[in-house]
Amino acid sequence: MNIYPGWLNLSICDKRWLTLLASSMLLCACQPQLPQTVRSGLVYCSEGSPESFNPQLVTSGTTIDAISQQLYDRLLDIDAQTGELQPGLAQSWHVSNNGLSYRFVLQDNVQFHQTEYFQPSRALSAEDVVFTFNRIMQTTHPFHYQGGGNYPFFQSVDWAGLVNSVTAADHRTVHFELSRPDSSFLSNLATDFAAILSSEYADQLLSNGQLSQIDSHPVGTGPFRFKEYQKDVLIRYYRHRNYWRELAKPEQLVFDIVPNNARRMAKLFTHECDVVAFPRVAELGLISQRPDVDIQESTSMNVGFWAFNTTKPPFDNVKVRQALALAINREAILQAVYFGHATAAHSILPPTSWAYNADLPTLPYDPEKARELLTEAGYAQGLSMDIWAMPVQRLYNPNALKMAEMMQADLARIGVRATVVSYEWNSFRRKLSAGEHDSVLIGWSADNADPDNFFRPLLSCSAADTGTNRANWCDQNFDRLISQALLTADQKQRRSYYMAAQQYVAEQMPLLSIAHSQRFQAISSDISGVAINPYGGIALATAAKDSQ
Amino acid sequence: MARFRLLPDEQLARSPLRELWREFARQHSAMAGLALFLLFVVLAVLSPLLAPHDPYLQNDALLLIAPSWSEAGLVQYPFGTDDLGRDLLSRMLIGARYSFGIALITVLGALLTGLVLGSLAGMSKGLKSSALNHVLDLALTIPSLLLAIIIVAILGPGLINTIWAIMLALLPQFVHSVRNAIAEQLNLDYVIAYRLDGASNWQVLTRVILPNIWERLTVTASMALSTAILDIAALGFLGLGAQAPTAEWGAIIADSLDLIYVAPVGVALPGLLIFTCVLSVNLVGDGLRNAMKKRRDN
Amino acid sequence: MTLYLLRRLFLLAFVFLGLSLLAFSLAYLFPGDVLQNFTGLTTMSTEHAAELQAEYRLDSGYLQQYIAYLQRIFNGNWGLSFSSNQPVLHEIQLLLPATLELAAYALLMSFFIGIPLGILAAIKPEGIISRIISALAVAGFSIPVFWWALLLIMLFSLGLGWLPTAGRVGVLYEIPHVTGFMLLDILLSNSQHQSEALIDALRHLLLPTLVLATFPTTVMIRFTRDSMLDVWEQSYIKTARAKGLNRAQVLYRHGLRNALLPVIRQIGLQFSTLITLAMITEVIFSWPGLGRWLIDSIYQRNYPAIQAGLLVISTLVISVNMLTEILHTLFNPLARKR
Repeated sequence: MNIYPGWLNLSICDKRWLTLLASSMLLCACQPQLPQTVRSGLVYCSEGSPESFNPQLVTSGTTIDAISQQLYDRLLDIDAQTGELQPGLAQSWHVSNNGLSYRFVLQDNVQFHQTEYFQPSRALSAEDVVFTFNRIMQTTHPFHYQGGGNYPFFQSVDWAGLVNSVTAADHRTVHFELSRPDSSFLSNLATDFAAILSSEYADQLLSNGQLSQIDSHPVGTGPFRFKEYQKDVLIRYYRHRNYWRELAKPEQLVFDIVPNNARRMAKLFTHECDVVAFPRVAELGLISQRPDVDIQESTSMNVGFWAFNTTKPPFDNVKVRQALALAINREAILQAVYFGHATAAHSILPPTSWAYNADLPTLPYDPEKARELLTEAGYAQGLSMDIWAMPVQRLYNPNALKMAEMMQADLARIGVRATVVSYEWNSFRRKLSAGEHDSVLIGWSADNADPDNFFRPLLSCSAADTGTNRANWCDQNFDRLISQALLTADQKQRRSYYMAAQQYVAEQMPLLSIAHSQRFQAISSDISGVAINPYGGIALATAAKDSQ
Repeated sequence: MARFRLLPDEQLARSPLRELWREFARQHSAMAGLALFLLFVVLAVLSPLLAPHDPYLQNDALLLIAPSWSEAGLVQYPFGTDDLGRDLLSRMLIGARYSFGIALITVLGALLTGLVLGSLAGMSKGLKSSALNHVLDLALTIPSLLLAIIIVAILGPGLINTIWAIMLALLPQFVHSVRNAIAEQLNLDYVIAYRLDGASNWQVLTRVILPNIWERLTVTASMALSTAILDIAALGFLGLGAQAPTAEWGAIIADSLDLIYVAPVGVALPGLLIFTCVLSVNLVGDGLRNAMKKRRDN
Repeated sequence: MTLYLLRRLFLLAFVFLGLSLLAFSLAYLFPGDVLQNFTGLTTMSTEHAAELQAEYRLDSGYLQQYIAYLQRIFNGNWGLSFSSNQPVLHEIQLLLPATLELAAYALLMSFFIGIPLGILAAIKPEGIISRIISALAVAGFSIPVFWWALLLIMLFSLGLGWLPTAGRVGVLYEIPHVTGFMLLDILLSNSQHQSEALIDALRHLLLPTLVLATFPTTVMIRFTRDSMLDVWEQSYIKTARAKGLNRAQVLYRHGLRNALLPVIRQIGLQFSTLITLAMITEVIFSWPGLGRWLIDSIYQRNYPAIQAGLLVISTLVISVNMLTEILHTLFNPLARKR
């Protein structure tokens, strides 16, 4: 139905002021019809601003959702159903018998984005892959220190120690030489972090001296190309017309950045958004009653936890950590914060992982025992501590502030005076990496199906250096277990190492795992084809609006 | 001093205060405002006794209970509970202490400080006074909420800082009002006469001037009170004032905003309370002003 | 008159001096490192820090530091924002028009609704219309602006689905940033969807403007009404009445002009109120303006941004105030004597 009089659609220039007048009368008319080209655009309401446009530099799920699947491709992809590896930019790959040498053959004729700031002259070649990974590994690389020189995911899996060299055999073949066998190597290449950048673009920036643009004005091979970004307001992408796979359905893709939950829902109900990230689980029932909105649910590999800063007394004392863990009523948290849409966590690994240790004892809620342990540790009179609660909503923790408030009340029962601390997200992460916290409520979403993706980034010594290890926990026993697990490709053997590692974490309690959450997406019912990968970000290239 | 009788029959002349009250009581809206106002005062004082539950007690078994007028509600929780299982009615009642009680204290503090500073300024003359006047004029053009935000920006968010900020932000209008009132009074015949009798500055101030300006101060205070309530609530709402879990009405609204679809009571109720609270104060203030005007006209 | 202007200008300069001193001292009042608070750089090498120390004169006395600060203010070097690492001045330039646009429309709305209603209420002070208007005015005066905004959103956006809840224009319309004033930018843009975008922008504008205008409108109603009633007491009105004109005629011919003169003064006062309330309105309607930015900065303890934001907003408020006062004096010779 068209509610505007026909003449409005005619040439408008001379009737501009009439339009103004008419529009003021029509303001209160019902939902307006958008013009065709605008209507084919898709609006995704996301929960926060991206930190960078280069997935190599980040770990946050928000950033990955916004940039990885939309702008970039990876050498390998993960099948969303089976979790198995699939060809991406590499059409085939080959591993040497000793597990030390990998060869990838690239797809033919993959085009990079044409943008206002860069016109590619050639298709994807092996050089681009070499450039992408050398930037991470070589500290002498001109781009290595752009964006701070931190590659948190790659550092957490000790990439520089693992990969000896990346070389181009010819323009379509890339060789990776490893220093030791690593069973998680291919999975890591398939993560959203391992996006392939353009070396031609880097050369252009180098000759213009605009190195910093590489992470703010991205160029990739993905289904969408970058158009503009206004911090805390929106990101605008347009369709990549020369995409090597099926062209993206939406002509335009806008990430509308709406950190507040209620507002995001409001925008869904008023159809200002087509897809809404993380609707409040409390409201799922309400949303499902609406005919114009659908709920999409998917399992996701994630864990929300409470990490203690183990370098700070008294949290270096394992008894204190155990006492604090025993004092928390996690059942209540699952109800109040996750509204029952999450499973209680006993390990940092979700039960869906093949390495999950089902024999771990369930940690009870036992304030009495907690008090005893505190007394044993020499804190009979209690202690004061900070609980840092992240200011943003994440899959693994939809409301950290509320959780912290509940824990505050729980801890008061064992004589621990907790203060809830929160900063704006950027400062929060900065201060967190600097280790200023006593304890923090945060979590992790998996990037691939490999269990190593939980252990190393979260609790290894190398991750303690790079900051993804929020407990700052560096334990040689634990590190030995998880590195041994990587040296073998035999899944049975690996599992036994990981079982032991989970057991050890449960004893040492550097962090208290709280919940594994389901991922939800609220979608306007005229949208179809939104794909969520359990191991990573959302892909919107296949999403289409049904024509009305 | 011998008493001089001006009026032949003293019974005819009512005291100014009673006259004021008579004019005030004739306005229905003002009386309604006064009743509400007194109700809020009672609430603010007695709320810990009146609250049926502990407003900070989290109850895992009773999350997001609907208000008792709906099917799913419980009688023990007339307005239902919030997402942590805290009783909303109790939180609203305790909220009266924060939003209304603290506003009252803040205004009293600003009033007293303003009185002292204003008297000092009013009784002194010359350059000092003129400079002060300019600064005051300027400070008065900046809205109190902006001043409060500026002060909170410096002190950092929090309820105590909010109190200081609002007190400081309200101060200029009190100083201004006291100073102007005193300056006016000083030129009046009876003050000059009293001075000629040999009264000191202090005597002039306490015996003659203050009794004559307190009514005007009450009106200023009522306006300041409505501003203070709104400002405390606004700062709480913006997350700059009272912090969770404090049951301040503005902060409760900000808190409940996330659940506006599931539990709209959490947003509607505190807002309504702030509104009625400010309305009652404004009605009383308007009533007072009207009554004073009518008394003068008669 | 010249003397008056000079005195005002002197006062303005004095005020700016005071404000800049305050902004300068904020760098010391805020917690954290002074150099960081000034530059907005959170990580710097020791050599770079030493270089900046010298440039910012942090090694010399406060007076030199303050002078260096003033120089930077005038050179446009306002430091970087902690949260975005962008120059603060640049961010302010991008955001200020949005706030001004909103405030300007709200100001217009409050005048166009407030003054006629105020006059209406003054014609028959004891009449039913007057009572209704006064009651509305008291209600509007007492309502917390954030709650009012939420109520309107609940009704018009979520309940009826007529109006959008947030932003300045639908995100799918790509409007290049030229002036920063959305309607103007749309008219300047050569988009083929110009008219649709314009309608969309107006729909986005309606609710925030209405919310923001509520408080100043009630003030305008009360002010206009009181001012009319005051004029009514004047002897020249009594003369006019004696000549046989009826109440409405008198008000129109003699009262209005004199009653509306003080209204000019109100523009300035209302503007400051508007800027303050705009902060709250912007937060609720996700309006990308200066107010929301400042509130966020306070929350984020983004000191360079707070420093600059306060300086800009208070300078703006005081300048507009002073300007309207001067205008008022120009139109009203009586005020000059004071």
